[in-house]
Amino acid sequence: MKNLLILFSIIFSFSTLEASEVSEWFEKESNQFLEIMNNNEGTESENYEKYKYFVNKNFAVKSIAFGLIGENIVEKSSKNQLSNYLKVFTDYLIKTIYKLSNSNSSSSIVLKDVDIKNDIYIIKSEISYKKSSANIYWKVIDTGSSYKIIDVIVENTSYFVTKKSEFNKILRKNRGSLEALIIEIGKI
Amino acid sequence: MKKHLKVILLTISISFLQISSTYSNDEVLESGISYDEIYDPIEPINRAVLNFNFFIDDIAIRPIVKTYKFIAPEPVEKGVSNFFSNLKEPIRTVSFIFQGEFYKSFNSIGRFTINTLTSLGTFDLASRVGMEKNETDFGITLAKGGVSSGPYLVIPIIGPSNLRDFSGDIIEYFADPISNSVPDREYIAIGNGLNERVEIDEQLDKVRDASSDRYEMIKSIYYQNRNAQLEEEFIQNLPVPKIYIE
Repeated sequence: MKNLLILFSIIFSFSTLEASEVSEWFEKESNQFLEIMNNNEGTESENYEKYKYFVNKNFAVKSIAFGLIGENIVEKSSKNQLSNYLKVFTDYLIKTIYKLSNSNSSSSIVLKDVDIKNDIYIIKSEISYKKSSANIYWKVIDTGSSYKIIDVIVENTSYFVTKKSEFNKILRKNRGSLEALIIEIGKI
Repeated sequence: MKKHLKVILLTISISFLQISSTYSNDEVLESGISYDEIYDPIEPINRAVLNFNFFIDDIAIRPIVKTYKFIAPEPVEKGVSNFFSNLKEPIRTVSFIFQGEFYKSFNSIGRFTINTLTSLGTFDLASRVGMEKNETDFGITLAKGGVSSGPYLVIPIIGPSNLRDFSGDIIEYFADPISNSVPDREYIAIGNGLNERVEIDEQLDKVRDASSDRYEMIKSIYYQNRNAQLEEEFIQNLPVPKIYIE
């Protein structure tokens, strides 16, 4: 019984430690994001570069990109095609985040809760702008060397799920052609 | 005459629901739904209706909404939003009874009483005293009763829906105790519709140019938001990408 209690307390203290580490990471990166978001004084390309750095540092871009097209397409595509797609998608992701954050100026992102399910951290936060606020959930993985975001859910709308529907539609319309998808998302 | 109309509409909605049950894929209460394979057999028609809705929105509704948002101070906007939300509390009460959620049902009618008596519903005092608003509607009641969603629909002027939710809207329109007790219920419906449009104005602006296929985007967002109202662990259960070494 005593051993069982010790085991439980060890497991519990590990998960608390992990949660506090990911919380610390989140606080730091969200503050940096706010700084980028609220300092739009530079030129458009300078601001874009700041977002690019942020996205590359904190998002699991490859996992998101390949997850959106699905394993079948990843397997049947050439290395060259995949690397081209990854490049175009990264640009697409940066532009989407840049566009969305450029139209808002936020005053705070407050961490509300951290949960873990199947090795994925679910960070609940609240972003406020003007007098309104929105709940944002971040799904984060621990890669060993750093934490990476795999999905952002704003008020029940998941970026990954929404984009997967869009990308699947384009792929289905073009008989699974990755080239067609690259052209389509390159237009944005 | 009005009674006959109600009976006809109820019959139509019940028969719709039967059709929707036969048409539905292998969904069980929507949970575990594959978002990129939503049942959409009349997609070309839906797409045309969506384009029509955006056209009407561009030329008529959006200018009204933008002007209203420009003129009305934020407290007024909030007050109007609270007013229309408060009018829905009695029908929420009925919906919760059908769902067997009696505590929430009491909460809804309590909120209606407090907010109506203190400010005609323009100020949400009930939330301040711990009676939080719980959203629901007849579409959710039907879903909880085991009715599947049926095909995705884009309704002219109204927007995205599905057979189950649209049937729920029809039932709600005629069963709503508030609408039934005022002479010109159409004005309430129009006011409520415009208020809902005001509330999603910013999101709609983003959808206009943030997507390679706005039809798919709106459809996905609609289903995610409906499922969030149905599933307790919605966020946890959302699909995630397979992890590749970065």
